[in-house]
Amino acid sequence: MTNTTLRRCLAAGAALTMGALGACSGGTPEPGESGDASEGSTTAEIVFWDPYPQHADGSAWDAHVKSCAPEGSTIVRTSAPQTDLFNQLTTAVKEGGAPDVVLLDNPMMPEAVGAGMLATAAQAGIDTSGVDENLMGPGVVDGTAYGVPFGSNALGLYYNADLLAEAGVDPASVTDWDSLNAAMAQVVADGGKGITFSGVTGEEGVFQFLPWFWGAGADLSDISSDEAVAAGQLLSDWIGEGLAPKSAATDNQSAAWDLFLTGEYAFAENGSWFAAAAAEANFEVGVIPIPTRGGGVAPVPTGGEFAVAPIQSENASDHYANAASVIACLTEGEAAFQTNETLGYLSAKPDVRAEQAAQSPLWEPWIAAVEGAQGRTTDLGSEYVDASASLSGAIQAALNAAGDQAAVEAAFQDAGGF
Amino acid sequence: MSRTWWKNPIALAMTALMLFPLYWMLNVSFTKRESIRGGDLVPVDFTVDHYAVVFRDQLPYLGTSLLIGTGTVVLTLAIAAPASFALASMAVPGRRSIGFALIVAQMVPAVVMSLGLYSIYNTVGLLDTLPGLILADSTIAVPFAVLLLTAFMAGIPRELLQAAQIDGASHWRTFRSIVLPVSRNAIITSALFAFLWAWSDFIFASTLNREGGLLRPITMGIYNYIGAQNQEWGPMMATAVVASIPAAVLLVVAQKYVAAGVTAGAVKN
Amino acid sequence: MTTLTTRTAAAPTTPERATVKPKRRGAHWAAIAFVIPLVLYLLLFYAYPLVQNLTMSLHRFDRGTFINGGAPFVGLEIYRDVFDHPQFWTIVWQTTVFTAVSLAFQYLIGLTIAVFFHRGGFRLAAPLRGMFLVPWLLPIIVSGTTWQWMMNPDAGLLNSFLGLFGADPVWWLSADNALMSVAIANIWLGIPFNLVILYSGLQGIPKELYEAASMDGATPWQQFWRITLPMLRPVTLITLLLGLVYTLKVVDIIWIMSMGTGTSQTLATWAYGMSVGKGASGVIRYSEASAVGTILLLAALAFGLIYIAAQRKQEH
Repeated sequence: MTNTTLRRCLAAGAALTMGALGACSGGTPEPGESGDASEGSTTAEIVFWDPYPQHADGSAWDAHVKSCAPEGSTIVRTSAPQTDLFNQLTTAVKEGGAPDVVLLDNPMMPEAVGAGMLATAAQAGIDTSGVDENLMGPGVVDGTAYGVPFGSNALGLYYNADLLAEAGVDPASVTDWDSLNAAMAQVVADGGKGITFSGVTGEEGVFQFLPWFWGAGADLSDISSDEAVAAGQLLSDWIGEGLAPKSAATDNQSAAWDLFLTGEYAFAENGSWFAAAAAEANFEVGVIPIPTRGGGVAPVPTGGEFAVAPIQSENASDHYANAASVIACLTEGEAAFQTNETLGYLSAKPDVRAEQAAQSPLWEPWIAAVEGAQGRTTDLGSEYVDASASLSGAIQAALNAAGDQAAVEAAFQDAGGF
Repeated sequence: MSRTWWKNPIALAMTALMLFPLYWMLNVSFTKRESIRGGDLVPVDFTVDHYAVVFRDQLPYLGTSLLIGTGTVVLTLAIAAPASFALASMAVPGRRSIGFALIVAQMVPAVVMSLGLYSIYNTVGLLDTLPGLILADSTIAVPFAVLLLTAFMAGIPRELLQAAQIDGASHWRTFRSIVLPVSRNAIITSALFAFLWAWSDFIFASTLNREGGLLRPITMGIYNYIGAQNQEWGPMMATAVVASIPAAVLLVVAQKYVAAGVTAGAVKN
Repeated sequence: MTTLTTRTAAAPTTPERATVKPKRRGAHWAAIAFVIPLVLYLLLFYAYPLVQNLTMSLHRFDRGTFINGGAPFVGLEIYRDVFDHPQFWTIVWQTTVFTAVSLAFQYLIGLTIAVFFHRGGFRLAAPLRGMFLVPWLLPIIVSGTTWQWMMNPDAGLLNSFLGLFGADPVWWLSADNALMSVAIANIWLGIPFNLVILYSGLQGIPKELYEAASMDGATPWQQFWRITLPMLRPVTLITLLLGLVYTLKVVDIIWIMSMGTGTSQTLATWAYGMSVGKGASGVIRYSEASAVGTILLLAALAFGLIYIAAQRKQEH
């Protein structure tokens, strides 16, 4: 019994609870390196967690996942929003009751690996071949792969084609920040509004900010650089000049999309997951890449989840065998196409992606974005979470400054701390 | 009608003001997605689709919520009522410590509670069960109910209790046939809040009952509409409207009961 | 007037008086029997989370050590970090304002409506009183979002309404205004609670008191000050104490509206954000969250002491 276990038992003893006392007799997991998918066999029940509560029981995604159960097994699938899922996984691993397969948001990968929550891809029998390197990036820590990304989504600049046409703006003319601002000014002069985006505090707002941040030439290792300030100033001016709604500071991506759907805004920075919904809007929607400051296509952060096998303390080999079987089914062969189409993602494998593009013209504008996407954690690893938190604070302050240059500059220079 | 008729319109106006956010919810629940952020006062872009979705998906969760709410009320009162009687009118050793413990208990954040309960439940096998969730939900209500009931029961005239004891009634009988009926208002109030807290709990349900399938409360059912990057507010608002109807009926009935208790004049006898 | 004197004397009970009271045979054991389920319940459900919370605030935990153990013991270092945080005193001040403003308005509005309904005598009193509780039936994510929309700075309903009076639109949830905005929503949320408890309290006041007073020629206003308020004191005390404890730990409504950004950050939202790694904190900080949680516990405890002192003062 280790020191920690002893302490846990003392605490439990203080609680006078039978249950907690029971925990001392062997329930405490000691996660380790043991277990290998090739030595185990699949079990009758396979537990599967994903961050898609919107795909309820009986939905196409639910059916697709369950169809991946190996012979003699059934898949029990549950969902929770991203961060909740990560925290629930943390508790489950701690208590020795982790699920067999989890779909984990890619920027969480380094932290999950660092906390010893994941089995290596080799251990869990996960095949990572054929996956694009930029998408695989967040899942590789110290040269070892953990899990595999099955697909990706990306950010782009949706536009309201009807509104632009009325104002006489050619979307193709938007190639840098100046031409974007000019296009918006023209729509506003015509009685419309500029752009919706999500500047909400936390990772979601940072995700949306990064294309502008990188597009200005800024780097995550120095978030107080002049380039970073320039990106903050751009968004801050939109608020100050009334081009973007003030609520951008509290809107998440879904709320920003709802605002765009009202038909009043010329542009919307949003994700490829809305590509299908865009085709059904009340007005004609087009999409262009997010421009850099000086002209060109800005790198966007990679979006999407990794299929991973959490570490197991008991019957590890069997759990890993479960993971190997289900993940292989979801990411290989014919089903890989289905996995991405059902979720509205673009596959992480070039050949499957090409097949998706061939079948639906919707995907055409997104392929370049996915292929040029940059992993958020690729440079900083688990340090990214800190950088992201600081950046989030700066974005909030910049949006609230509503154009005030001194305040925006101060916002980025003061960024940091907890 | 009496000379107080004019109070009706004032009361109506106050209620309307209070319930305005509800009206807004109703409005959105009948509006198509593309217009929910349009800000119209009435659902111009009218649709009933959201309700169709809700009736298809959410009814089982509604039943579970009712079950959990009722269970929590029963458990809370069973623990709190006798204890409050003792704390209010008997010599209980260590009563001040208990009072402090109750205040502290109210202050423990639900996140901390749920983490602690998770490890206990995991070992005794209460995870993903209804009794487990009822027990957890009662932790919000029990300290509250004890504090409230104690405050009210302390107001019961002492002569009433003494008279009963002179008649030779046991403590249990005094409690059952005098204290309980006399404290009816306070008991109903505690029950109401126990029910409402259980009804609106999300944190316990999401940590302790996440794999409960259809045996999860409506607050979890609502999360079906909150995706990673996409939230369906129409169905969410519709769920909120549908879910509040049975509970609202319950409330109005309970309120009537409180009023009836007063006219019966239990306290004065 | 005999009823009056006995009742006022009986209403406030303090621990002191009861223990001094001569014990009857068996009363002691009966009392223990009545209380024992509660004590067991408290030990069973609260001791472990509380001990865990304290332990976490004395060790430096991260996600890895949370899972695998081995977090180093650092004594009071975490508390020092929290106190030294550049925002700490700002957040304490914001928490104080949020709590005081919420509490004052919830109580005053709740009392006004309770008295209005209690004087009653109008047909709609009972059903409308029931309706006042309906806001509590709504999942808070729904009511919080509704408030956020109504407070939308560009096209929100509140601004349209203010615009009717020629007022400039307000950026409700901006960093500077967020505290006021979440307080407004929280007051709305707290009125039913105050209303219900105070209304029950009003019902406990014997009608004869008012009858006697009006025969003596007291105006309704005088009756309110001389009968209602004094008689309502024990209930007022408990309502304020409970309201205070609940307001101190409010997270959800603030989180849904503003995620604790700007001035709307309170000790409770700060602790919540750190304990789950959401919002401005981003990184999960179990230990700092527990330390802030402990500070909140101590604050509640301090107010609990004040409550007991007030109870005793009332006795004398």
